[in-house]
Amino acid sequence: MAGSIVSIINKYAPRDKSNLIAILQDVQKKKGYITPEAVDKISSHLWISRSRIFGVASFYSQFKFTPPGRNSIKICLGTACHVQGGDFLLSALKSEIGISPNETTEDRRFDLERVACLGCCALAPVIMVNDTIFSNMSVVKLMELTDQYE
Amino acid sequence: MSRRITYITALINGDPVRVREGLTVLDAARQAGIYIPSICYLENLKSYGGCRLCIVEIKGIKGFPTACTTPLEPGMEVLTKTTELQRLRSEILELILSEHPYTCLVCGDKKECMDFMHTTRKAGTITGCNFCTSNGDCELQDLIDYLDLKDVRYPISYRGIPPEKNNPFYDLDYNLCILCGRCVRICNEERNSNVLAFVQRGNTSIVGTSFNESQAEAGCEFCGACVDVCPTGSIAEKMGKWAGLPDRSTETTCTLCAVGCTMNVNTRGGRIVNVGPKPGGRTNPHQLCVRGKFLPADINHHPSRIATPMIRKNGKWIEVNWEEAIQYTAGKLEQYRGEQFGMICSAQDTLEENYSLQKFSRKVMGSNNIDLHLSYPDKELVKDIHSFNLSSSHTGTRDILKADTLLILGADASVSHPLLENRVRKAFTTGRTVLYANTHSTRTSQFANHEINYAAGEEYYFLYVLLAKLANPDGQFTKQNVAKAGKRSGVTGNELKPFVSALAGSRNLWVIAGDDLLRNASGRDTLRALGNLQFIKDGKANCTITFLGYEGNLYGGALSGAHPDLLPGFDPVTDKKAVRKWNKNWDTELSTGVGLACNEMLGNIKKDGIAALMVAGDIPPQKKLAKLKFLIQMNMFRTDLSEYADVVLPITSFLEHDGHFLTLDGKIKKLRRALAGPGKTKTIPGILSELAAAMSESGFSNSRPGSIWKEIQSFIQIPARDTGNGKHSFQPLTLKSPKETTDYPFRINLQHDHFTYRGNSLTALVPDLQAIVYTNDRIEKAKNG
Repeated sequence: MAGSIVSIINKYAPRDKSNLIAILQDVQKKKGYITPEAVDKISSHLWISRSRIFGVASFYSQFKFTPPGRNSIKICLGTACHVQGGDFLLSALKSEIGISPNETTEDRRFDLERVACLGCCALAPVIMVNDTIFSNMSVVKLMELTDQYE
Repeated sequence: MSRRITYITALINGDPVRVREGLTVLDAARQAGIYIPSICYLENLKSYGGCRLCIVEIKGIKGFPTACTTPLEPGMEVLTKTTELQRLRSEILELILSEHPYTCLVCGDKKECMDFMHTTRKAGTITGCNFCTSNGDCELQDLIDYLDLKDVRYPISYRGIPPEKNNPFYDLDYNLCILCGRCVRICNEERNSNVLAFVQRGNTSIVGTSFNESQAEAGCEFCGACVDVCPTGSIAEKMGKWAGLPDRSTETTCTLCAVGCTMNVNTRGGRIVNVGPKPGGRTNPHQLCVRGKFLPADINHHPSRIATPMIRKNGKWIEVNWEEAIQYTAGKLEQYRGEQFGMICSAQDTLEENYSLQKFSRKVMGSNNIDLHLSYPDKELVKDIHSFNLSSSHTGTRDILKADTLLILGADASVSHPLLENRVRKAFTTGRTVLYANTHSTRTSQFANHEINYAAGEEYYFLYVLLAKLANPDGQFTKQNVAKAGKRSGVTGNELKPFVSALAGSRNLWVIAGDDLLRNASGRDTLRALGNLQFIKDGKANCTITFLGYEGNLYGGALSGAHPDLLPGFDPVTDKKAVRKWNKNWDTELSTGVGLACNEMLGNIKKDGIAALMVAGDIPPQKKLAKLKFLIQMNMFRTDLSEYADVVLPITSFLEHDGHFLTLDGKIKKLRRALAGPGKTKTIPGILSELAAAMSESGFSNSRPGSIWKEIQSFIQIPARDTGNGKHSFQPLTLKSPKETTDYPFRINLQHDHFTYRGNSLTALVPDLQAIVYTNDRIEKAKNG
């Protein structure tokens, strides 16, 4: 496991701090999230402190620090979805799968993320599971939806 | 070549202000004594422009520029306190306060409350000033007063983060944090510790570490810089947290290592509140390390500190008054005058203390058996260092940044001499070439352009190869010898290449040599090799060598006479002329026999050997001490050594008396009494004075450090200056045939415990320190598998 991180890192010049985000992106692509070991390895390669790397990575919402679930749920809380009751969906989802946004269920079945817009406001409120968009959602529909994914 | 300083004049609030060119508006105003509010600004750090409180009005410039980022120009007209500015600042402060429990700050009963605390209620976490450790020392309180803010229109957005109390020495409560960024910047820019960073984004952003690990796990060195600069109570020292505001501040010198940092001891009612910035100030230009910042309070107010003299009678310890202790000790000492008496003192004592101790041993007891505990095992070494120092120019280590290349040899200075190492880090981050050679990687490795790990114990052979590659006068280095030395040091030619080219190209080289280099069998050879390095460079370029002595005053101690072969000022005891001089100085008849060094004294405890020992501080206990007829321990604590002692006399710490101290760069630094010693403690010269009086000896009547210092200065020159005849020359280096033995299949690399004071183990005394030292060990082990 550590070997693959090293092979990613070694593609980039050592001590060149400008490579940080590119490396983080590659690690995320490979591992699905940024592991503490990866931060350690990047730190000694680029000579940036671990805290600083974490600071940079946690600034961008694209980087995750928990392992992704088998299915990823994105719940939209943009203006239209918010007006249509996206908040209710979120709290229902929270109690249904038992996690808050940016977390993964213990059995790795779901991870949850809140997004600002999915680009189909006319269908609000919407939820995206993996690559599929579910429109005009309601709490009841939501309950049925989660059962379909394992 | 020095650049001429030009001055410029500008108008601030209508008054002409004349300052050096290149200052910011804020710096110029502060120099002129004009207050401009600011939160993120810190002296000696790069301007940040984060808090926006230092906005000013400048004629001809649109909007409200921040004073900390605007350079002052000639003729500028600056206004710092207009109604408009105050209104804007108030709004900014309101926003800052919206994330800080501010209720008390704007409470209508504030004034009465400060005086009588009538509205105090109990609370679990800090929700207002009365429960804040920084109450009275909070910059937000000052700002509220300056801006006369009466109400904050935003509700408090309390973050609800549990306070972190799992770090040694300081607690964190990020609910109070206003994200000024001072701690992050001082940790990264000034200390290069790189532990703190801003993490997360937007309203969840906070100062933190990676994956929420504790500060210790993130590699915190506990220098305490963040504690000093925090404008709120977010980062608070555990010790002295509730001690209140200091009523006295004393500037003195830290003696816990040889760097000799200036430190500010803040006390209240004779107890240490903290070691930090002067009250009212936040910036602390005298940076400190964990030893200077956190340990003084812990040692001085340690619960097991002794305050009454004690005598062992019939196997039982009895507390006695000083009169009895002195009479008893003096009576005993009368029986052991001469060579059977030995004195062991500490390199962390002041020059005055060591001078008095050796004078007492030589004059009163008639014995030259006097040595510093932890002096060099090879007695000759300290003389070599002395002649080395005599022939080298003393340059303050502040000038390290003037060097273009730094060579650090055999030292883990980040632990042993942190503030010196801090300058190495700065040199590295500002583009100097740093070469690091040691037996293993340390924190300094992260601040080195090139690193070599040579075989343990083979420092000399490494230097031998390095020198051979640099120069070969008279063909001294034969190919065969170089190959042999190369093999022993375990260093390859490829590894050496960047070292050699950097050293050869350097115009201003600074060598920092650790004590590990000298404390081995080939220590004197190594010193000679270093001398040669200086000789090779000196013709063409500047070369400075700094030695990192293990303990504070090691060289100073020898200079003040705490050495078995040497009288003060490096006068040999075997030199009749020198002895005559000191006989006259002290009005006595000195013994001319060479004394025993520390190890020799301890090895010579027998019937016609050493019978009585006086120890200032602590030495490791050993069974043979039981054979001593009389052992006096002068210390702040009862230690394992006390089991063998007959008398234990309580003495003052380095914060409790005046004195002088010689730093590793040959500077004299002053110690000032910051507080009184507890109970009936006495200073070492004070005790010796009474003992001498009880033994009817003269010459010790004045025990004040000031008068002892005058006496020292009237006899010898400290620091010793070049007499003009000690110039370097290339000294031949020999290659001893290595004595390999198969009896010992492995080597043990001993590391010095740098956390000691007068031989007392600080790690044993301060539990918080154990957490750090052992955490570092654990990290080190994890890294090495």
